[in-house]
Amino acid sequence: METNSNSHSRRHFIKNVAALGAGVVATSANQAVAAPANILSEDRKGVLVDTTVCIGCRNCEWACKKSHDKESGNIEEYSDRSVFKQFRRPSAATYTVVNEFSNPKNPALPINVKVQCMHCDRPACVSACIVGALSKYEDGSTIWDPVKCIGCRYCMVACSFQIPTFDYNKAIEPNINKCDFCNERRKAGKLPACVDICPVEALVFGTRSEIIKIAREKIQRNPERYINHIYGENEVSGTSWVYLAGRNFYELGFPKLGFKHAPGVSEAIQHGIFAYFVPPVMFYSLLGTMMWIYKRREEFNKEAELAEELELQSEPESEVEEL
Amino acid sequence: MNHVFTPVPLSGIYSKKRYLTPGVIVLILIALNGMVFLAGRFFLGIGSVTNLTNLYPWGIWIGIDVATGVALAAGGFTTAALGHIMHREHYQVIIRPALLTAMLGYTFVALGVVVDIGRWYYVWHSIIYWNPNSALFEVGTCVMIYMTVLYIEFLPIVTERFLGRVKLPGILHNLNRAIEFILRILDNTLSKTMFVFIIAGVVLSTLHQSSLGTLMIIAGEKMHPLWQTPVLPLLFFLSAVSVGFPMVIFESYLASRSFGLHPETKVLLKLGNMVAPILLLYLAFKIGDLVIRETFVYLAIFNVQSVMFIIEVILGTVVPLIMFLNKKVMKSLNLVFMASCFVIFGVVINRINNFIIAYHPPYATEAYYPSFGEISVTLGFAAMLILMYRAIVMIFPVISLNINHSNNHHLPHSQEVSK
Amino acid sequence: MKKNVFLFVFFLCLLTSLGIYGFQGGKSATGTQKQEKPNIIVKSRQVIKPDNKNQNKLHAKCTLNCKTCHYCEYPTKKNPCLIYCPRDGMVTVFHTPEECPEVITLDEMSVRFGAVVFSHKIHAEMSQMSNGCQGCHHYNTTGPVLACRKCHEQTRIRKDLNKVDLKGAYHRQCMTCHRQWSHTTDCNFCHISKVPNHKQKIQEKIIQISGKEHPKTVEPNKLVFETSYKKGKFVTFYHEDHIKVFNVACNKCHWDENCITCHDPNNKLTHGAKGKNISIKTKKTFDEHHAPCNNCHKQDHCNVCHNDKELEAWDHFKVTKFELKPHHDKLACTKCHERTSKFQKLNSDCNSCHKNFKPGKFNHNVVALKLSDNHADLACESCHVKSRFKDKPVCKECHDDKEFPKSLPGEKIAKKKK
Repeated sequence: METNSNSHSRRHFIKNVAALGAGVVATSANQAVAAPANILSEDRKGVLVDTTVCIGCRNCEWACKKSHDKESGNIEEYSDRSVFKQFRRPSAATYTVVNEFSNPKNPALPINVKVQCMHCDRPACVSACIVGALSKYEDGSTIWDPVKCIGCRYCMVACSFQIPTFDYNKAIEPNINKCDFCNERRKAGKLPACVDICPVEALVFGTRSEIIKIAREKIQRNPERYINHIYGENEVSGTSWVYLAGRNFYELGFPKLGFKHAPGVSEAIQHGIFAYFVPPVMFYSLLGTMMWIYKRREEFNKEAELAEELELQSEPESEVEEL
Repeated sequence: MNHVFTPVPLSGIYSKKRYLTPGVIVLILIALNGMVFLAGRFFLGIGSVTNLTNLYPWGIWIGIDVATGVALAAGGFTTAALGHIMHREHYQVIIRPALLTAMLGYTFVALGVVVDIGRWYYVWHSIIYWNPNSALFEVGTCVMIYMTVLYIEFLPIVTERFLGRVKLPGILHNLNRAIEFILRILDNTLSKTMFVFIIAGVVLSTLHQSSLGTLMIIAGEKMHPLWQTPVLPLLFFLSAVSVGFPMVIFESYLASRSFGLHPETKVLLKLGNMVAPILLLYLAFKIGDLVIRETFVYLAIFNVQSVMFIIEVILGTVVPLIMFLNKKVMKSLNLVFMASCFVIFGVVINRINNFIIAYHPPYATEAYYPSFGEISVTLGFAAMLILMYRAIVMIFPVISLNINHSNNHHLPHSQEVSK
Repeated sequence: MKKNVFLFVFFLCLLTSLGIYGFQGGKSATGTQKQEKPNIIVKSRQVIKPDNKNQNKLHAKCTLNCKTCHYCEYPTKKNPCLIYCPRDGMVTVFHTPEECPEVITLDEMSVRFGAVVFSHKIHAEMSQMSNGCQGCHHYNTTGPVLACRKCHEQTRIRKDLNKVDLKGAYHRQCMTCHRQWSHTTDCNFCHISKVPNHKQKIQEKIIQISGKEHPKTVEPNKLVFETSYKKGKFVTFYHEDHIKVFNVACNKCHWDENCITCHDPNNKLTHGAKGKNISIKTKKTFDEHHAPCNNCHKQDHCNVCHNDKELEAWDHFKVTKFELKPHHDKLACTKCHERTSKFQKLNSDCNSCHKNFKPGKFNHNVVALKLSDNHADLACESCHVKSRFKDKPVCKECHDDKEFPKSLPGEKIAKKKK
């Protein structure tokens, strides 16, 4: 194929490389504009979960299902504490679950921990999603968009808290299931369903800065009641939902995470490799130049042989001038 | 070096082999078995066929069908770089088979993706909805473009096959001239612009082979520290490059055996010579990473991860490296084939390790093990790939008959090489 | 000590009235509202008025740490920088359970569930063994006893998120104990379900609760602890003596008792054979074991309590040969004994305590004697040499031939009874 290329094709080649390069740079410029900025607002919302207050009534589970049109059953069934024998995780059936852990300080008052999406400030799922079906909003929420999702489940791989779940038994329109911070309710000026129903107000909804302040004061005032750690204040560079506890969080089913946000390394690599498409374009031109040099050397050798054999004048020199 | 490069369709006058052989029938059965489970997946949901859970969202369909598939199709871009960009003409003979392997490999990677994603009918969404932060988006886009590039690269083989031979039967007879005309234009344009696609192919492969490594970085603490490293993309790229030539050797050797041809011993052995340096570089980075991050301490703990890591490094990298560095080995195509098998094994294990073994999510009480359905589908795809390879090789001019050697057919390999 | 408590109460009075009157935009905050000392039994939801006479400006001299109430360094009247509801460390007005409302119907917010009929009096009685009134009325200064809804807002969407809303406040108070006591979070345990005859059900419940009292708790006479301490295995604790002899208030030791301390089905104290010798195994840390005693016995040696055998009840006469009865047995120990590391031994002479006996002031009736007029005016030393009242009085100074007790300096009468 390439063996019989001529001088014409070489000129053509240079032109093509240039055009392609320019095109790529042009698209990359558009890309830079389209890339999402850090949209976290100062008064973004959050919820403070005080696990020392939670009584494990599981009313939040009921309210969550009810407000998301899931099969919720009768609220009276939720006072059944035998479900705590099993460690449960959010699933397609429910976006939030409450688990129970023993309380070494008082065995009669077990520690109950509500689990749902933490709504990270820099969510791994949002960074990971191939089609951007998960988005971070100014108000602090991280919401899944059923229109875009292709069901690749990369968000589930990426999530540090193992929160998104998938409808494995649906052939059509399987969803990614995850707390949406009661987006609909909040738009209507209501509190998230779980916060609204909580009988002991173990869940406090407010701006993130305020609930962090409240949490700090609580720790300061009751150093015996709380351990000096607000889970989610710094974990993965901050989450919208933060927790207080009287026992080490890692014994309460919370994953031990660093303070750096999860997408950091991967995004740095991605943007390092792509950096406005400069490295790929450079690589492309490098390969193009190599190809041209090798081909020319080959041709030069061949033509030199030919010239020797047929005693013809060498043409390539004029070509070089032209280029 | 008076090598003659004449690829021909391995049917009719060039080969007396039939398509159907007992081996092919077995492959068809495996493929059909896979199809049965595929039907289950499409009609009843992913959960009905797989062992995937909310904790283990990715199984062997991603780990083997996609990640390993992409890695093993690396022969396409490595040979293209060698043959076209570095212009080593004597490797022309293996470029077409490697291209075909890559093309089919990527096709099945794409099919694997379609099967694995929940909303498969939205697979095209990544074209219109972009997330430039996502490593998966990059992999997806690159794979999609690269697949197109591979098809374009394959087109000249199609035009070569049909140019001047378009003979449609019956009523379609009138279209013959038009098709002939289109083919000729296509052939002309392609021959002039092919280099654009060839370079693009290499660039795209470099990008997505490495980005495939970036995929699991975002899993952070969920990945076992033996594999979780920021240089993962580089390791993925180096391992992909290192498996490129061994894969070509593997596939060329098997194809010639299967069609009763004489293998391209000389070319394949030369190709084999280039494996050792790349493999050494890969191993150096792998061990270097282990030392710098001090993760070797995890090898002292006896568990699945440490055992798999040792298998991956020793059997998949060290053993073939020693073989490729051994002069005796490098004189025998059989041994080079064996060494290549080790490299391929190493890369397959590496991808499985990265995507399945290393992935340990919080709250997991039991490990993921692929279901019979998952294995069936994976094997089914592999069988279909081989079947299609065999069919295409018999229809299109991909594999060249070794005219030089066809005369002295009975010479033992060792004597050939010693010449 | 009395003074301190007094000041304390003042300070709280001041603070409350400042808060309440300031809040209501009412009269001068320092204006004293003289009121009768309350001694009324209050029926449902009647506010108990505080005893806030004697208000003065000494609240800075309170025993309270300033930081308990103020968060800034220099609080002023304009900017008192009061912190929100300090749950602990605040003292409230104390009332006996008889003074408080008997039944309260909580129905402000019944949306999904019906009202709760709360047996306030029984709960007040029960709380005597724990935190008392302030267990629930935690931020109650000496002003009127406030109902929860006075401070806690009824809406969850509000500005001040520091303070829990009313629904939360109610449930936190109830559930902390009820969860331990009934092991359930069943709403219907307290709430009357919203059936058509809801109101009637509430009335029935009120009638059912009214007049009920928490039964008197069984107070043991003594408890014997078998410990693992080698140098003294047994600790004998005379419960009754601590209450009656030493006047220790219940919640000095029982400061955080819970219903399940007594009502736990696993507890043999209440579910074993009543009134007989009962033995219980406890699993507590060293500090937990000793905390109730260490309130007072902080400085005592281990062997004060620990002994090889069961000890008899402590008797002042047996140990010191000084009979407390009938005049000294009502006194606090520290009235006579100074306390440094342990109670100091005293001379049994009366004047070692009674330093200022004046001539003619001592009523000799208590020793069954009516001094004759001429003896009554004598100086004490004339008969009681060197004020040694314990020794026999001497007559020789005046009467050579007389001797006590053959002769008496007056008339013998019947011993005066107190």
